[in-house]
Amino acid sequence: MAVPGVCLQDFPLWSGGPTPGHFYNFPGNSKMNTGKSHTMYPSTSGTSVVGLVYDGGVMLAADSLGSYGSLARFRDVKRLFKVTDKAALACSGDIADYQFIREVIEQKVRDDVCGGYTRELNAGALHCWLTRVLYNRRSRFDPLWLECVVAGYKDDEPFLGYVDKIGTAFEAKEVATGFGLHFAVPMIREAREKKQNLSCDEARKLLTECLKVLYYRDCRAHFKYQLADITPEGVTIHDDLNLKKETNWEVANYISGYE
Amino acid sequence: MARRYDSKTTIFSPEGRLYQVEYAMEAIGHAGTCLGILANDGIVLAAERRNTNKLLDDVFLSDKIYKIDEDMACCVAGITSDANVLTNELRAIAQRHTLQFGEPIPCEQLVMRLCDIKQAYTQYGGKRPFGVSILYMGWDTRHGYQLYQSDPSGNYSGWKATCIGNSSAAAVSILKQEYKVSETDLHQALLLALKVMSKTLDMTKLNAEKLELATLVRNDNKTEINVISVEEVKELIKEHEQKEAEAEAAKQDKQSGSGKSSDK
Repeated sequence: MAVPGVCLQDFPLWSGGPTPGHFYNFPGNSKMNTGKSHTMYPSTSGTSVVGLVYDGGVMLAADSLGSYGSLARFRDVKRLFKVTDKAALACSGDIADYQFIREVIEQKVRDDVCGGYTRELNAGALHCWLTRVLYNRRSRFDPLWLECVVAGYKDDEPFLGYVDKIGTAFEAKEVATGFGLHFAVPMIREAREKKQNLSCDEARKLLTECLKVLYYRDCRAHFKYQLADITPEGVTIHDDLNLKKETNWEVANYISGYE
Repeated sequence: MARRYDSKTTIFSPEGRLYQVEYAMEAIGHAGTCLGILANDGIVLAAERRNTNKLLDDVFLSDKIYKIDEDMACCVAGITSDANVLTNELRAIAQRHTLQFGEPIPCEQLVMRLCDIKQAYTQYGGKRPFGVSILYMGWDTRHGYQLYQSDPSGNYSGWKATCIGNSSAAAVSILKQEYKVSETDLHQALLLALKVMSKTLDMTKLNAEKLELATLVRNDNKTEINVISVEEVKELIKEHEQKEAEAEAAKQDKQSGSGKSSDK
């Protein structure tokens, strides 16, 4: 028994049964007894994403900052991407998790195109699928630390949906993540009260205004951003947009006592 | 001898054949006939009902036609117990897709998934193939109305009209002659189905008790899969017989009118 290098597992008394001196994983249980622990905090993260439905399409915007805690580390991170002609996805939260899920989705789209036996993924299907994935991950205590906004078309109807890391999912006409929920969504709702159906230009102006306010107020925001416009014709992504010139910091001159 | 290569599915014969798969198709050749016809505005599935014992309790409306999903139904020919396993799996596949994507599975994708399972049983595992051929009728936003056929080898193809089971070859040749592509509407397809069934089934007169008919149509953005009731089948048979009588009469007239009928 005390022969070095030889343990009891080399002489199986019964297969799959308990081994003296080791933890026994009862059958039917998940892998929760392994004692392994998964990362439960984001490292490089992105801040708010804002989206709204307008008359003739859906628009999504997200800034291009990857924050490392309070350090504005990566200033040209693309957090918005086109999935198919009918869907675009933007995520806030952990950038690594976003890049992972982006690779998975892009491969999925490739498989669908190559297989030829199924239809192009639309925004509603992507939203449903993402909800199932994120919910199942959280149920295994191994979440993808993301808050996603899915925008696009589902069966000729404009679609805008939100999914987050615990699997909460809903559809709405205006959606935002993080600080956007507190600043941008009320702004959009106020504009909609005045005019129900926004035109493309009005929507773009409103979205840019929301991002500007977020840049003023959210410490983890940046002035470089991306904007996606999804219409029945397809998805257009405008990269490298900059709202620095539209911002007004004159008020900084009047603040004293914080030097 | 060929016998040596029969027993295992997972090996080829020297002539490059998979005997077990072929034997499975033989088994289906003895089963009740099923035929499917694609019309402009719908699809028809017709099947020969073999269990017509009076003592049978009618728990199921149909013993060969199954609804798989809101937009798809299928008709099976072959070993019934195998068919039950496969239709169950088809329903589960469809629901798994709807759970993941929130929308109905495209028809071809469902057929393909099941055929991959069927093919696995011809390549590994050492188990025999499923002795079932299936005709699928369905509608989706990709291709509209579709009719597919799959067999024990795991092969599938899309059809405008086809037949499986007993006397299927004869039925397919009749369909080849009679089916008019893109000129057939649902009612004509129903009558054509009855015509083919009457010619290939070994009964002199069509009996509503021995037939199962089902249709799939799209109405108001909703798919309706309807197994036709016995009364309606009786009506259709009456109409079919009437048309046959008229056609016979027209043929007689033509023969006597041409004046060359006494050449025999």
